[in-house]
Amino acid sequence: MTYQTDVTIPDPAQGRELYRAHARSWLAANLPEHMRSDSLAYRAPTLEECTLWERAMHRAGLAGMTWPTEYGGFGLTLREHLAVNKEIGALMMPESVGSVGKELAGPIIMAVGTEAQKAEFLPRILRLEDYWCQGFSEPDAGSDLARLRTKAELEGETWRINGQKIWTSGAMKATYCLLLARTGTVADKHKGLVMFAVPMNSPGITVRPIKSIDGKESFAEVFFNNVEVADSLRLGAPDEGWSAAIRVLSIERATNRMYRPWRFEAELRSLLRACKSDAVLARRLDDSDVQRRVGEIVGQIDGLKGLIEASVEHLESGAPIGARGSLSKFYWSECHQAFAGFAYDLLAQVGPQSSPLARRAKAHFTTGYLFARAETIYAGVSEVQLDIIAQRILNLAKDK
Amino acid sequence: MSTEDDTLRPEDFADAALAAITDAAGHDIAGAAGLLAEAGLLGISAAEDDGGLGLGLEFALSLAAIAGRENLGFPFVEQMLLARAFAGTPQAAALIAGELVATIAWQGDVGLGLASQAPFAGVCGAVLVARDGEAVLFERESLQVSEDPALDPERPQSWLGLAGAREIAVLDTEGFAALRREARLLQGAYVTGLAEAALETTAAYLETRTQFGRPLSAKQAVRHSLARMKLLVEKNKAALARALAADEFGAARDARAAFVTAAADAGFVLERAIHLHGAMGFTWEVPLHRALRAVRKIDAAFDTPAALRGLGKTFIDAA
Repeated sequence: MTYQTDVTIPDPAQGRELYRAHARSWLAANLPEHMRSDSLAYRAPTLEECTLWERAMHRAGLAGMTWPTEYGGFGLTLREHLAVNKEIGALMMPESVGSVGKELAGPIIMAVGTEAQKAEFLPRILRLEDYWCQGFSEPDAGSDLARLRTKAELEGETWRINGQKIWTSGAMKATYCLLLARTGTVADKHKGLVMFAVPMNSPGITVRPIKSIDGKESFAEVFFNNVEVADSLRLGAPDEGWSAAIRVLSIERATNRMYRPWRFEAELRSLLRACKSDAVLARRLDDSDVQRRVGEIVGQIDGLKGLIEASVEHLESGAPIGARGSLSKFYWSECHQAFAGFAYDLLAQVGPQSSPLARRAKAHFTTGYLFARAETIYAGVSEVQLDIIAQRILNLAKDK
Repeated sequence: MSTEDDTLRPEDFADAALAAITDAAGHDIAGAAGLLAEAGLLGISAAEDDGGLGLGLEFALSLAAIAGRENLGFPFVEQMLLARAFAGTPQAAALIAGELVATIAWQGDVGLGLASQAPFAGVCGAVLVARDGEAVLFERESLQVSEDPALDPERPQSWLGLAGAREIAVLDTEGFAALRREARLLQGAYVTGLAEAALETTAAYLETRTQFGRPLSAKQAVRHSLARMKLLVEKNKAALARALAADEFGAARDARAAFVTAAADAGFVLERAIHLHGAMGFTWEVPLHRALRAVRKIDAAFDTPAALRGLGKTFIDAA
């Protein structure tokens, strides 16, 4: 695969629409047909193919928009980031294989890392020279991270890590783990939590893949057995690192994967095109119940776009993000999960007699339906998001 | 005014608007018109040459939300829309000054000889009715008004016979299409205002209503229900603000999705608000029923179930 490299990246000062138009034209010209999940030429891309694609996107100015130029970014605002994400969402391209690095580890390092850490890690994240995984959840600490037990003990200039992480997405390919551990005991709750950038090739790390509902091994258990980590890989001070990370995470929840409503729209469009390509399914589209359901979904997508754009304007105005990210995360996951069920139902009778595009859609949306079970769980389960909205937006006192 | 002070924001008007709207709520239709006109609200987004303030539609949107919160007994949204649409005519000046109170029949057509869903038609001076794409402003006294109190005995829906109707003015096809687009935005803000006020009332009540030794708002099921309601209100406010703004390429956005969704969600929020009040919510004394009736009348006026199907069909056809 070769990608267009003689790219002239427009100056956003000349108009944000130029930046969006650049994103649109570059993506349309460069996204390989076989990586489009709505194409008959689709085949699951390899890790290497995805990596090369994302590197090319970065060179074209379509990743790291808001990161400082000295770390490989483009020094732009969230508005350009959003403009590009609208175009990323409009195409049925693969999910990023570097999202944990770009959307979680990178912003945390930017917020709490030393200058040396920023210089070392950030450009490599954007160039996809490292893959990151997130080592937060544990068997007894899912939504409630205050219960995590993984121990970090300082011995001279080296930390010794012992414990177990679970539900670690992408651990099998990761070269670094953004690890959360504690210096004291579980009774300390949020005190004494400390973060590290742990090389995944460190002696003592064992990764055990977990087969997920969609048949893939997209997450894993990660065991840390006397793993030694240099103090220079600690991100922020103990205690301080965690609170800074929480601030970053609240922004990330509101701003990461901004393309979701536009991808949601592209998925709906591709589902309908597949139905139109098949005589039996095309008749279903005349059903008033189907039209009403599509109308509801269009309204939900429109509302999600509103929430995302409002968050961007809110942040660009200098206002704190607060708990706004919980609104869009909760709403997207609930609506998209329901859409996945609708798509599955619509395509359930597709078989060998159906059109090729309908069969392609069935393969895509059946996997999507199964994977969508995770959407109301990961990145903060729905019930936790509702608690956050109740407590921090509605200011309702919590039960004792 | 719009060019002299670019820093003026809709929220700068909020307190004064709320005071005027609250004041107007205690008067009959003519008195209310006078108070709203005096505060500059009826012509807030209407042409300055007609006596309006010439401010952008976002100002009218903000006022519609406040009027919704107060469930104002006046065709406020319709009056603001007509004052803009009839720019440059004597009718616009009269509407802005509150000398003429007019409403809009959201259903029906002159060709059918029948129109309906005109809020407060019984007490207005004029009614706008569609006529094969354009619209005609008729003298209300020349229409045969029959009221239907089934949904709302205090503010009944109305049916309008058009035989012998006398024309006051005509709005061309383009103007009527623009009015309908703006109506979706303003009515969306109005129903979202109704929903937001109900949510706040409900949250406040549940924080003070103690059962089993603690406030009901401390119970997770109740908190989550309120959180869902809050999400819908915030989402619809964001969607309406987005629909109001042009896209990155300068094109106006379609407001249908934002409006239809806001109306459907407002009904849900009102129904939940009544439920969460327990038996008190079922009483006449607690005014949530009035807000629910108001939302359902707007549903009927814009036939939102059909509009939702239409939204789906339009997307399907374009896919």
